[in-house]
Amino acid sequence: MTILTVAIKYLRGRLLASVLTTVSIALGVGLVIASILVSRGIKEGFVAGATDYNLVVGAKGSPTQLVLAVVFRMDIATPNIEYTVYEELKDDPRIDVAVPVMVGDAYQGFRYVATNSAYFAVFPWRRRMYSLSSGRFFRDDPVDSPAYEAVLGAEAAGGTGLRLGDRFYEGEEMADHPLTVVGILRPTHSADDRAIFISLSSFWGMNELAHGMVIKPLTAVLVRPKRLSDITGLHRERNVAAETQAVLPSGVLLTIFNMMAVAQEALNMILVIVGVIVLIYVFVAMYSATLERRREIATMRALGARRATVLAIVLVESGTLAVAGGIGGILAGHAAAYLAAAMLAARSGLVSQPFQFDAVQPAVLAIVILLGALAGLLPAVLAYRTEVAENLAPLS
Amino acid sequence: MRRYPRTRAFRACLAACLCSALLPATLRAASDEVPRLTFAQLVDSIRADSELTQSIKSYSGKEIEIHGFIVPAGPPDLSFFMLSRVSALGNYCCEVPVGQDETVFVFAAKAVKLLYDPLRVYKVRGVFEAGMSSDPANGSSLFRVRQARVEEAVGAPIFKVGETPPAAAAKP
Repeated sequence: MTILTVAIKYLRGRLLASVLTTVSIALGVGLVIASILVSRGIKEGFVAGATDYNLVVGAKGSPTQLVLAVVFRMDIATPNIEYTVYEELKDDPRIDVAVPVMVGDAYQGFRYVATNSAYFAVFPWRRRMYSLSSGRFFRDDPVDSPAYEAVLGAEAAGGTGLRLGDRFYEGEEMADHPLTVVGILRPTHSADDRAIFISLSSFWGMNELAHGMVIKPLTAVLVRPKRLSDITGLHRERNVAAETQAVLPSGVLLTIFNMMAVAQEALNMILVIVGVIVLIYVFVAMYSATLERRREIATMRALGARRATVLAIVLVESGTLAVAGGIGGILAGHAAAYLAAAMLAARSGLVSQPFQFDAVQPAVLAIVILLGALAGLLPAVLAYRTEVAENLAPLS
Repeated sequence: MRRYPRTRAFRACLAACLCSALLPATLRAASDEVPRLTFAQLVDSIRADSELTQSIKSYSGKEIEIHGFIVPAGPPDLSFFMLSRVSALGNYCCEVPVGQDETVFVFAAKAVKLLYDPLRVYKVRGVFEAGMSSDPANGSSLFRVRQARVEEAVGAPIFKVGETPPAAAAKP
């Protein structure tokens, strides 16, 4: 029999204890893997979902709220600004593209986003392209005769079950102006997949307050300057104005990442404590198992087994537990990350990839095997030093 | 007479130990000898006809160091950003926003991992490019740093137009 065969036989001999030890290792490893994948996924989801526009101009208030509401639609919208802000920006010679955005209520949880056709236009600097899986984009209809047409994001179409030509509304106040689905977008892997896009005129027509306003309201204006070096000037001008603020979306996301880094550090400390607890548990399990079978070890030694063989058997036992727990933990961690990613996507539209395999998984497995062997080292030395004569003495 | 070889061996050993102790510091000092450019130099390099001086062009293709504020004008992984003499969030400051002459496009060698602070000065090292250039993603720029590495510049002074850093002043 090889050392591995003997070690596995020993593990099977105390199956319940072996399974519980493996599960405890798997839980610890799974927790580490899941936390790494989820935090990385959230960050990558924010990066992937970020806007191509360099500035977001909105009402005075929290920059984070403005970006989360307008770009990621995770927060309630900031107070309105006047449509004239958009007109000023559009006519500014330093600005290449300005896109008005109005974030509204929701239909079955999918937010209304009112904008114009520039939102979907193709520009050389755009990373995200909008294309239709069916239908057409809505037209830039005049304010006095809104068309009440809607273009659905891919997830919004799937989630609501709406199809081309369907008319829909939610709430009594919208019953007079049901929207007609004229297009469905292909997935963009961003918050836009969960949006229902309508024209500004349709939005103002549906909204009683906005309908009566002479100067129409907006939530924000997305801005792309002709020269990026003008960003600081535009940013300053809009921030010193009494009603508006300008925000660099990437700057806001980097601030969020900074806060996440602090939370991650606290989580890392918890994970280290969990790792130490698992390590102690493996050590106690292996130590008590070795104590229990000192008589067997003495018998093996009496039958000719060398001290090194006994040492190796115990080390292989703890190593086997570590390998099984490590692999199980990596699989469990990925499963947990997948569930978390699905939940995040459903609730916030953040799209992350939970099945990324890179250096993290092999590194975690190697560390687990090393720590597993370390936890088995003292019991292995105990087995190594087992005295034959002393332990083969009659029990009574 | 017998002692002599021992003394030589001891001295050789001592010299080797000293060399090995000082070598990393020497190498580090050698690697630190990267010319530092300032925004003042960049501004001064622009002539009336918008051409750049030969002295600033001579840095093109060479590794340089420049200090400034990060303006996150690109994606949030900071693979591309602008480095500016003035902070992007200096609403409460007396500094006038800068233009193209005091803005450097920075293309990072890899995704930058740092705690972003709009009011902190960062040190950027990379391959310098001078001269008007335009790309579809980021538009036109006068100065660029590619394959850049970024880190916080602790206690670094920012030189304004008209000021000259001691290192630049010492050069002929």
